[in-house]
Amino acid sequence: MKFTLIKDLKQDSVMKPILSGLLFFIILYLVSDIFVKDLGFGISVHTIKLTLFGSEEEFLDPITQASFLEFWHVEIFFIMMIVFTLSTIFIRVSNASKSAIVIVNLMMISSIISLISLPFAYFFSSEFINIYVATFFIWHILALFCAFYSLKRLHYA
Amino acid sequence: MHRAYKISILYFSLFTLLLLMSGIMIFEAKIGFDVQRALGYYIGNKELFVAAKTNGGILKLVLPHIFGFALLSMVVLHFLIFTKFRNRVFVKVLLYTILVSQFFEIFSPFLIINISEIFIYLKISSFFIYISLIPIVLYLLFDSIAQIKFR
Repeated sequence: MKFTLIKDLKQDSVMKPILSGLLFFIILYLVSDIFVKDLGFGISVHTIKLTLFGSEEEFLDPITQASFLEFWHVEIFFIMMIVFTLSTIFIRVSNASKSAIVIVNLMMISSIISLISLPFAYFFSSEFINIYVATFFIWHILALFCAFYSLKRLHYA
Repeated sequence: MHRAYKISILYFSLFTLLLLMSGIMIFEAKIGFDVQRALGYYIGNKELFVAAKTNGGILKLVLPHIFGFALLSMVVLHFLIFTKFRNRVFVKVLLYTILVSQFFEIFSPFLIINISEIFIYLKISSFFIYISLIPIVLYLLFDSIAQIKFR
């Protein structure tokens, strides 16, 4: 959080490359996360339904409760660290403009809704998978925007 | 610090509560809050066909938690710097209690399988202490954050 106290980040020869590196790896993580989810848990309503509830026709077992909870637990930890770090950088480089605050709010709310809708889908109703898929992509797109915008502001603004 | 960072901190607090909730659910699903069931998880239970845990098995389980607990506690606790309570004695007690409880929450399973089954009480109590104290830190944060004069 030291970067929140530095007056001019663009002129800081140490903090600028450190933040650029962090943003670069956050972008890599966000893109990789989509591919990894596609290969495992699923990123469409149909594939996530198969993962959570299995399919007798396709001889697929549903995910166990313990495995699901572990997956959810790890997801919460990673997402909270990423959106928190990213939001502080984004707020800092955008000088806390009103539009930046709106974007941060949308990113935070959509990521929280995606995390909450997951156990709701598993324990209560598969309809919540629709909400999960929509919010999953919303927060990923907003996070990617925040990361790219922050990089641009650090180097070209 | 800018006023806008309040948003990040407040959302981070919500995520933390969600993480604690998922932790409670996993503990209940895998280990259990009942002493006998929790003990069976570590030393094995023939009736339930649960194999006893080994040192290597436990180490594999606790490895990500060593880093995870440390990072979460560092981030959550360092927010106390921004509160009006930062120099109070009870905050120091809170800090050390959280760090000690997280240590025993992670490492007490080794004591259970290597020294005595009695340490199952340490495992369960340290879990509850940690889970109870983090929301108190978040409450102190909420209580102070509205009154802080940000730049």
